[in-house]
Amino acid sequence: MATKGMNLCNVCCLLLYVITAVLAGRDFYAILGVTKSASIRDIKKAYRKLALQLHPDRNPDDPKAQDKFADLGSAYEVLSDEEKRKQYDAYGEDGLKEGHHGSHNDIFSSFFGDFGFMFGGNRQQQDRNIPRGNDIILDLEVTLEEVYSGNFVEVVRNKPIAKEAPGKRKCNCRQEMRTTQLGPGRFQMTQEMVCDECPNVKLVNEERTLEVEIEQGVRDEMEYPFIGEGEPHIDGEPGDLRFRIKVLKHPVFERRGDDLYTNVTISLVEALVGFEMDIVHLDGHKVHIVRDKITKPAARMWKKGEGLPNFDNINIRGSLIISFDVEFPQTQLDDQQKDGVLSLLKQDSIQKVYNGLQGY
Amino acid sequence: MEIIHSVHVFVKSLLFLLLWSKCEGRESELNQVTCGSLVKLLNTRHDVRLHSHDVKYGSGSGQQSVTGVESADDANSYWQIRGKPKHPCQRGEAIMCGQAIRITHMKTGRNLHTHHFSSPLSNNQEVSAFGENGEGDNLDVWMVQCDGIHWERDEAVRFKHVGTDVFLSVTGEQFGHPIRGQREVHGMSAPNQHNWWRSMEGVFLQPSQVPLRHDEL
Repeated sequence: MATKGMNLCNVCCLLLYVITAVLAGRDFYAILGVTKSASIRDIKKAYRKLALQLHPDRNPDDPKAQDKFADLGSAYEVLSDEEKRKQYDAYGEDGLKEGHHGSHNDIFSSFFGDFGFMFGGNRQQQDRNIPRGNDIILDLEVTLEEVYSGNFVEVVRNKPIAKEAPGKRKCNCRQEMRTTQLGPGRFQMTQEMVCDECPNVKLVNEERTLEVEIEQGVRDEMEYPFIGEGEPHIDGEPGDLRFRIKVLKHPVFERRGDDLYTNVTISLVEALVGFEMDIVHLDGHKVHIVRDKITKPAARMWKKGEGLPNFDNINIRGSLIISFDVEFPQTQLDDQQKDGVLSLLKQDSIQKVYNGLQGY
Repeated sequence: MEIIHSVHVFVKSLLFLLLWSKCEGRESELNQVTCGSLVKLLNTRHDVRLHSHDVKYGSGSGQQSVTGVESADDANSYWQIRGKPKHPCQRGEAIMCGQAIRITHMKTGRNLHTHHFSSPLSNNQEVSAFGENGEGDNLDVWMVQCDGIHWERDEAVRFKHVGTDVFLSVTGEQFGHPIRGQREVHGMSAPNQHNWWRSMEGVFLQPSQVPLRHDEL
C-alpha cells in the first residue's frame, strides 16, 4: 500500500516537473508563428517579416518592444540552428547548452545590413554632408519557381572595413587662397593645399553571411538593399549593397503580371473527341484539365487562382491561361480513310472565299 | 522510480546517438568562387586589382579601357562571374577549373574582352571592356585555369582567353593623365608570374535549395 502511494506521488512529481519545465521556457515556435515541422526557409521567412514589424525603432510607444524583439532574436537563433533546435525540441529552453551569445544585432543585420535602421526617415536626409562609399548592385537571377514559392539565398560578403591604425593622415584636403604681403601696398594671392589631420585608418577585409529573401511574387528589377554593406569610405559611411532581381525566362510558363501563360499542343483526335491531362505547376502540384467537347485551335482555357501570388498580398493569385493548338495527322489518308471521315463527320463543304488580312 | 530513471537514460542516449549520426555537414561552397558572384581580382605579382571605368582607349580599338588599380575600396573594381553566351551557369554553383566564363564589369555592364589590337603602352594584346548590358560577342569568353577541381577563393588562377589563347596579365607599365598611376592590363601568350590572379573582396553567392515541391493536397 505504501509503495503504491509512493509511485503515484512520483508520477505526480514528474508531471509537475515536466509542466513547469515546459512553462519556464519560451515557446519559440509560437514567437515566430510557425509549426513544429516548419522548414528552415519558413523560419527565415517568418523571422524577416516579424523583425520588420517588431523592431523597437518602429514601435517607440510600446514599452515591451525591446523584450518582444529580443525574444524574436532568441527564437530565430535557436530554431535556425539544426543542433540547437533538436535540443530545444527535446528539453525546452532550459535544456539548451550554452547561453545565447552573439547579439541579436548580428542576426538582424544579416537580413537587412549593417548600419542601424531607417524607418520612415531616410538616411539621406540626416547625413547629407557625410561622404558615402560607393553602392554595389548585384543582378540576382531568379527562376519562376522561386517567384512562385519564394526562396532564400545565402551570400558571403567579404568587404574592406576601415580600422584604426597608428599615426596620422591627411584628410579633408582643399584648396585655399592665401594672401601674402610682398611689400607696402603690394600683395600676392596664391593657391595652397590645406589639409586637416585625422587618425590614420587602414582597410582590413572582413567576412559575414547575409540572407537575401526572394519573396513570393517578386517582380523584375525589384531591389533588396543591405544598408552599409557596400564599399567603405575612409572619411565617411559605407555605401549600400543592393540585390536587383532578374527573373529568368521559363521553358513552360510565361509571366504577365501575376498571370501565367502556357501552350498545349493536342492531336486532331483529342481536339475532336475530348481529352484529360495534367499540367505540372511550378511547385510540382498538378493542374487537372478535362475536355469532353470539341477544342478549336487557339482556344483558351482560364484557370483562376493558378497564377503567381501577388507581391503585395500573397493570398491573391493571378490566373493560368492555357492556349491550345492542334496538330494534324502527319500521314496522308488513303481513299478508304477519306470515305470514312466523310461519312463520320457529316460536315458539308464550305469553301467560303474572303479577305482575311483586311489591311494588317 | 528505477523504471523512470532508466527510461530517462535510454531516451537521453538515443538522442545523443541521433545527434551524432546526423553530423553530415552541408557541403560548404563558402571557399569557392561561384556563378553569379561579384569579385575583385588581384594580380598577385603587381598587387593591383582588375578595374574598368567609363574611359576609352585613345588608340587601338578605342573601346572602354581595362586597367589595374592600387586602391581596395573602389566599386569600379567589381566584376560579375557569369556563364558563356547562351550557356547560363547555375546560380551559386562553384566554378570548375577549365570552365569557360564571362567576366562582366558591374558598373558599366561590359564584358572583359580581348582582340587583335595592340595595347597602348607595352604593345601586347589590348584588353578592353565590350558589349552592352552584359551581352557582347564570343571574344568575351575566358577559361579559368587552375589545378584542382574548383576555383578556390584563396588560390591564384590564370585566365586564358578562348579565341586568341592569351593570358590576362599585368607587367607594370603605368598610364598618365587622366588615369595616372593605373597599370596597363593586357594579354600575353606565355603563362608566367605576371598572369596570376586571386579573388579578394566580393559578394559570393551560395547555392540555394530548390524551392519545395509538393503534390496536390
